[in-house]
Amino acid sequence: MTIGTHSNTKTNAILGVVVVVLALIIGFIWIPADIDTGIFEKARRRLEIGDAFAPTLATTLLGLGGALLIAEGLTSKSNLKVDARSLVFALGLLSVFAIFIALLLWTGPILVALFGAEGAEYRLLRDTAPWKYLGFITGGTFIVAALISFMEQRFTIKALVIGTVASLAMIILYDLPFDDLLLPPNGDF
Amino acid sequence: MSVLDYVWLGILAVFQGPELFSFFGMSVSITIAMVLAGFLLGIIVGSTPGLAGPMALAISLPILISIFGYSQEALLPVMGFLIGVMKGATVGGAVPAILFNTPGTPDAYMTTLDGYPMAQKGEAGKALRIAHFSSASGDTFSDIVLIVCAPFLAILVESYLDLPEKTALLILSMAFIAAVVGGSPAKGLISASLGLLIAYIGTGEDFTPRLTMGYQGVASGFPIAAVILGVLILGEVFKSIEDLWQENKKDQSLTKPVQHKASRLSFETIKGLFPYIARSAFIGTAIGALPGIGSTLAATLGYASGKFRHQKVQDQNATSFGNGAPEAIAATEAANSSVSGANLIPVLSLGIPGNASAVFLILAADSIGSFNPGPSVFRFTVDSVNPELVVAFGLFTMMMLANLMNWTIGGVFMRSMGIMALVPKQKLLPVILLLTLTAIYVQETKMAAVWFTIGFGFLGYFMRRLAISPLPLVIAFILGGRLEETARGAFSATGSDPWFLFSSYTSIAMLVAAVGVVFILSIKGKPSA
Repeated sequence: MTIGTHSNTKTNAILGVVVVVLALIIGFIWIPADIDTGIFEKARRRLEIGDAFAPTLATTLLGLGGALLIAEGLTSKSNLKVDARSLVFALGLLSVFAIFIALLLWTGPILVALFGAEGAEYRLLRDTAPWKYLGFITGGTFIVAALISFMEQRFTIKALVIGTVASLAMIILYDLPFDDLLLPPNGDF
Repeated sequence: MSVLDYVWLGILAVFQGPELFSFFGMSVSITIAMVLAGFLLGIIVGSTPGLAGPMALAISLPILISIFGYSQEALLPVMGFLIGVMKGATVGGAVPAILFNTPGTPDAYMTTLDGYPMAQKGEAGKALRIAHFSSASGDTFSDIVLIVCAPFLAILVESYLDLPEKTALLILSMAFIAAVVGGSPAKGLISASLGLLIAYIGTGEDFTPRLTMGYQGVASGFPIAAVILGVLILGEVFKSIEDLWQENKKDQSLTKPVQHKASRLSFETIKGLFPYIARSAFIGTAIGALPGIGSTLAATLGYASGKFRHQKVQDQNATSFGNGAPEAIAATEAANSSVSGANLIPVLSLGIPGNASAVFLILAADSIGSFNPGPSVFRFTVDSVNPELVVAFGLFTMMMLANLMNWTIGGVFMRSMGIMALVPKQKLLPVILLLTLTAIYVQETKMAAVWFTIGFGFLGYFMRRLAISPLPLVIAFILGGRLEETARGAFSATGSDPWFLFSSYTSIAMLVAAVGVVFILSIKGKPSA
C-alpha cells in the first residue's frame, strides 16, 4: 500500500481533502461541543472576544491550507513519502514505547512485591535506592537496546551494554546530584 | 539611566555574576564558565553527524534549570550556555563535512563540495582553518548587526505600533514563516494552524477549559516543552531511525584523510578570501533577520554568489568551485554562520522566534521567567532600572564573549573534533531519545508529559514524512497565546470594533502583505529554507 510516491500527482490533493474534512469536523463539531462561550460574548454589557474566536480562526486557516493544498496537488507533483513501511515502522515504534512504559511503571512495584520487606509498598520506596532505579534501568536499557537492534536488524550484547550504560549515565546526570528531582516513573507514585 | 549605563550594567551582570572560582584573586563568574561550556559542547555536537544544536539545547535545558533553578540569577548562566551551544554548533558542522564528506549540520552540505576535495589533496588542515576563520567572521558580523538593529527595531515597534498593528504584525510573521518554511505555503499554513489549535487546547478565559474533551490532564494546556521537544526532536529522531532501518547500514568505517601540506593561513590568503566572506556575511545576515528562513538557504546563496564572483575575477588556473576551491568554503561558512546572530533580531525585538535554536531561547526565558523577549525589553527607563534591558545587554555581552572564545580557542578545539564523525548514529539516536524523555519527565514529573511528548513525536514524524515542516507549528504554538491576548486587547481598546484589524493603514498593509506572501509563493513556488 502506498499513500504517496513521487510519480503520483494527486497525493497532495488527497492530503488536502483529509485536512479540509478535519477542519470541518473541528469547526462544526468539536469547537461548538467543547467550548462554552461563542466567538463573541457579552460580559458586563460589553461585547468581548469569546474563547471560540481563536480556535475558529485557526480552524479556518487549517481549512484554507487544505484547500490550497488541493489546488497545489492538482497542478504539481507530490513529494509525500509515507508508504506501508512507514506505517509498519510507526506501529513497531509504538509497541516499543508501550513495552518501555510498562517496564518503567511496573518493574519497581513488582520487584518490591516479590523481594521487598513484608508490607512494603513501592510508593513509600520511590525515593530509596536501589528500588527507585529499577524501572528506569530496565525500561531505559530495553528501549535503547531494542532500537539499536531494530536499526541494525540484529541483536547484539553491545546494544544491551550501551542501553545499560546510557541508563546509568542518566541516573548519574539527573538523580545523584539533585535531591529534588525524580526519575521516571517515581513522580507518579 | 543612560544607554551607556545599561550597556555597562549588562557587562557587569555577566562578569560579576555568581563566582565559580577565583583565579589569582580575580573572580571568575559562573556565567562566563557556562558560555565556554556551551560553546565547547556546541562544537562537539556540531561535529557529530546526526546531532544538531537544537537537540543539545533541548537536552541541556532541564538539566540547567535543575542546577540553577527559576530565579532571575539563573537567566544569564542558562542563556549563556544555550548561546554558546548555538555558536559552537555553527562552527562544528564543517568538521565532518571537510574530513569525511558528511555534513555535521544540514547547512554544512555545501562545505562538503569543496572541503572534502581539499582534504583529499592533503589540505584538510587548511580547509578547516578557512572554515573556522570564515565562520567566526560571519558570526561576529551578524552579532554586531543584531546589537545595533534589535534595540532600534524594538523601539520603532513600541513607539509606532498599537495593539491592532501588533496583532497584524504577529499574523504577518506567522504567514511569512508558514509560507517560506513549510514544504509549500499550503503545507506551512496547515502546520501553523495546527500549532495555533494545539496552543488553544485547555486555555482560554472561561471557567471551563476549552477543547479538552473532558480530560483534566490538559486543563491548563499541553506542557510547552512536551510539544516543542516532541515535534522538533523526537519527530526528527523517529525519522532518522526509520531512515537507518530502511538503509540497514552497519557502522561506518571512516578514515581520517592524511594531512601533508602546510595549513597556516597567510595574510595573502585571508586577503583573497575577504571579498567572499564579506559578501556572504551580508547575505547570511539579511536572510537571518527574516524569521523562518534558515541557514541552509543562506549557505546556498552564499555559495552561488561566491561562484559568480569567482568565475568573474579569478584566472583560468584557479581551482574552480566544486573541485576544492578555498573561496567556496569561505563563502559557504561565512553565509551559514552569519545567520545565527541575525536570527535573534526578530526574537529580541519582536518576541518572534525565527528558527529552532531561537525557540529554545524563548523556552528557556519562558521556563525561568522574569525575561519576556519582545519590544518591551528595550524600554530605556531614565528614573529606574529596567532589569529586562540589563539582561538583553547581558545577552549581547555573552554573544561577544562567545565570539572571543571562537576566535581564540574555537579553531584549535574544532580541528580536534574529527573523531566525532566516527560516533555511529545507530547507537546515538536511541540514547538521545531516552535522554529527551528523561529530561521531560524530570521537568514535568508525570508520565502524561512523556505520553504527550511521544504523541507529538509521532505528529512531527508524520509531518516530516508528508513533507510538512514542523517549525511553523512550533512557532505558531509559541505565539498562539500572545496572538489571542493581543487580539482581545485590541478588540477592547477599539470599543469592540469587529474591524479592529483594519483600523489603521499600517495594520491593513501588514494584513495585505500576509495574504500576499502566502498567495504569491503558492503561485510562484517558495525558496527552499
